[in-house]
Amino acid sequence: MILNDEQRMLRDTIADFLSKESPIEALRALRDGESDLAWEPSLWSGLCELGAPAVAALEAEGGLGFGQVGMGALMLETGRTLCASPLLSSAIHARAVIQHCGSPEQIERRLPGLLSGDTVASVAMQEGSQFCPVPRSTRRDGNTLCGEKSLVMDAGSADYLLISALDQANQLCIAVVPRSASGVTIQLQRLMDGRQYGSVSLRDAEVEEWLEGDALDQGFTRALDEATIMLSCEMLGASRELLERTVAYLQEREQFDVKIGTFQALQHRLATAYCELELAAASAFNALLAMDEGEQVLSEHASKAKTLVGDILQHLSNEAVQLHGGMGVTDEMDIGLFLKRSRTCNQVFGNSSFHRDRFATLRGF
Amino acid sequence: MTDNDTFREDVRSWLETHCPVSQRQPIVREEQIWAGSKSSFPSDDARQWFEAMRDKGWTAPTWPREYGGGGLSNDQARILEQEMARLQCRPALYDMGLWMLGPALLTYGSPEQKALHIPRIVRGKVRWAQGYSEPGAGSDLASLSTRAEDQGDHFVVSGSKIWTTRADVADWIFCLVRTDPDAAKREGISFLLIDMTSEGVSTRPIPLISGESEFCQTFFDEVRVPKENLVGELNSGWLVAKELLKHERKLMATMEAITEKVDVGLVDLAKSRLALSEAGRFVDGDLRSRIATHLMHADALHHLNETIYRGMKAGQLDPALPLTLKYIGTTEQQRKDELMLEILGTDGLAMTGTDSVEHERMVRNWAYNKAHTIAGGTSEIQLNIIARRGLGLPE
Repeated sequence: MILNDEQRMLRDTIADFLSKESPIEALRALRDGESDLAWEPSLWSGLCELGAPAVAALEAEGGLGFGQVGMGALMLETGRTLCASPLLSSAIHARAVIQHCGSPEQIERRLPGLLSGDTVASVAMQEGSQFCPVPRSTRRDGNTLCGEKSLVMDAGSADYLLISALDQANQLCIAVVPRSASGVTIQLQRLMDGRQYGSVSLRDAEVEEWLEGDALDQGFTRALDEATIMLSCEMLGASRELLERTVAYLQEREQFDVKIGTFQALQHRLATAYCELELAAASAFNALLAMDEGEQVLSEHASKAKTLVGDILQHLSNEAVQLHGGMGVTDEMDIGLFLKRSRTCNQVFGNSSFHRDRFATLRGF
Repeated sequence: MTDNDTFREDVRSWLETHCPVSQRQPIVREEQIWAGSKSSFPSDDARQWFEAMRDKGWTAPTWPREYGGGGLSNDQARILEQEMARLQCRPALYDMGLWMLGPALLTYGSPEQKALHIPRIVRGKVRWAQGYSEPGAGSDLASLSTRAEDQGDHFVVSGSKIWTTRADVADWIFCLVRTDPDAAKREGISFLLIDMTSEGVSTRPIPLISGESEFCQTFFDEVRVPKENLVGELNSGWLVAKELLKHERKLMATMEAITEKVDVGLVDLAKSRLALSEAGRFVDGDLRSRIATHLMHADALHHLNETIYRGMKAGQLDPALPLTLKYIGTTEQQRKDELMLEILGTDGLAMTGTDSVEHERMVRNWAYNKAHTIAGGTSEIQLNIIARRGLGLPE
């Protein structure tokens, strides 16, 4: 990513903060701890003090004005240390849903809390085990909801959920439902990446309000695309970290009396992976630029970035395990944590097959 | 309006005035404008287009004005390139001297060499061939054995070069020759310019799998070469060669600049030939997915080039990045060629005698482009360089 001076300072500040406050040990502690927390409260308050949730927003809207490139650079750093926080679920995805699907009054009322980080929200869109961007079985009935949502990030710690559903005319509607509302049951689960997700059961769940923006379908897609691009940036950070760690290991590890990094077979595996990584990075960076340049429709950008970054992260995480040899399959090594994060990232917002199919459809074939 | 905006407007209107409509079509091989005494213009329009560009110095946009170049800044040259692409203007001149020798000569040539050769390149007077590889020196280029013996005021060159592109119609050839057989491999090599009309030079075209004979073997039988044709210091030809290879690899990463553009896009070709569902999707889901992947890669390669350009301007260029372009560009080109061939089905199995010039061209390119991952440093050599210089893996 090519950053301006301010964005570079931001990136360095965040990288410094994460290395101190959210090293990979912090994720291990969260994973192995007894608590039901989705994130470590002191880490989140530290990120909020730095203004992380509001990095991209305009200064006039209470943001820091670093643009989406700034936010992408930040997400990339969180990918390097596997930082678990509600940045993606709340500051990026839920915030975008409010911004693109809310009425002006709703935006004015709800956005500041999400940008400051005082309020945390999460979007409940998926149903079942396969990603699908539109609701199929979650139904609106008057002012209540019925249905089942899966893979809701940070579900147990979010203040409220934004739930996609169909009304009686099969039109998309989006409900604001407090976590503790009646009729809502959340079953929490730590997935293989050590983070907390929830399955949400809605039985005549009481809705606080419905988002009242003009173009819900477009807005909801736009929000998903923004979040997909930002997740791709996080995944890019994880990919870079995996490549660097593996290169470092090959520079140190000796067998047959030589550094194993001298073996051409291994060199070529990493060199081809590096080429694919840089292609994916260029695609993700271009998506961020498109956002900052005010492009209205981001779906092609999002699908390209998620596919290319997803493919290389999947590949590099496997290569990293293999090239670390026996150590690669121990829990002591961090490589396994990246491998598992890669698999959850792959599913969140749709995997590469989903996005290749979406891209082909958008391109008219 | 910035200076660049003004320049863009000027360029646009100049191109609209000076580039004939026939020169704004996708280029095919027969209509390329090649430099040299043995070349002729494919059409009057081609001549007119070439002369207009030549007189502006825009055949070599960034080269100094004193040698007939355009004297443009990098930003301006990029604007020219973008505007030419927008109007689909064909390249006004094709020559290895323009793409490879010129940039190296501007860095390492003597004032006399520059004054003699650069203007002739810009003006398309001379067609250059490249004499690097030898039958016994391919990827291990530095093991080359063509010898140049010092005879006082001249060298005597003996040996042979292979894969010399169209040496049979070239006027001059730039060669790597061994001037010190006792020195270490890379240290006994010099860079010589040789007039193809010299006594003792002969060529033999090599038939290729594409059915063409673009490449030749060139033989040197005790050829006299004046000392003033030595570029750079004696025995430091490897330096010049490396500078030149950089330009060659950059060029090969965007092969479309020098090869034919196939007029039909992959998706349009597939749509006209393959079964479609009611929703207009390819029924063959596997091929559909591979076409999607290729298109994503092609876009990403474009963005990678942009990233490199932006990085260079911002002084934040990761030096490992440009090393990837040749490998990525040529590999992706071959992926596209394979997809085209597959889409043509059994129609793609005929190389000649069909009723579609277009299909034959695609098939010919498919075969021809196999050379792209070999010429100018094989993909395997590129990966060695990326691994060692880019990633820092040990030698």
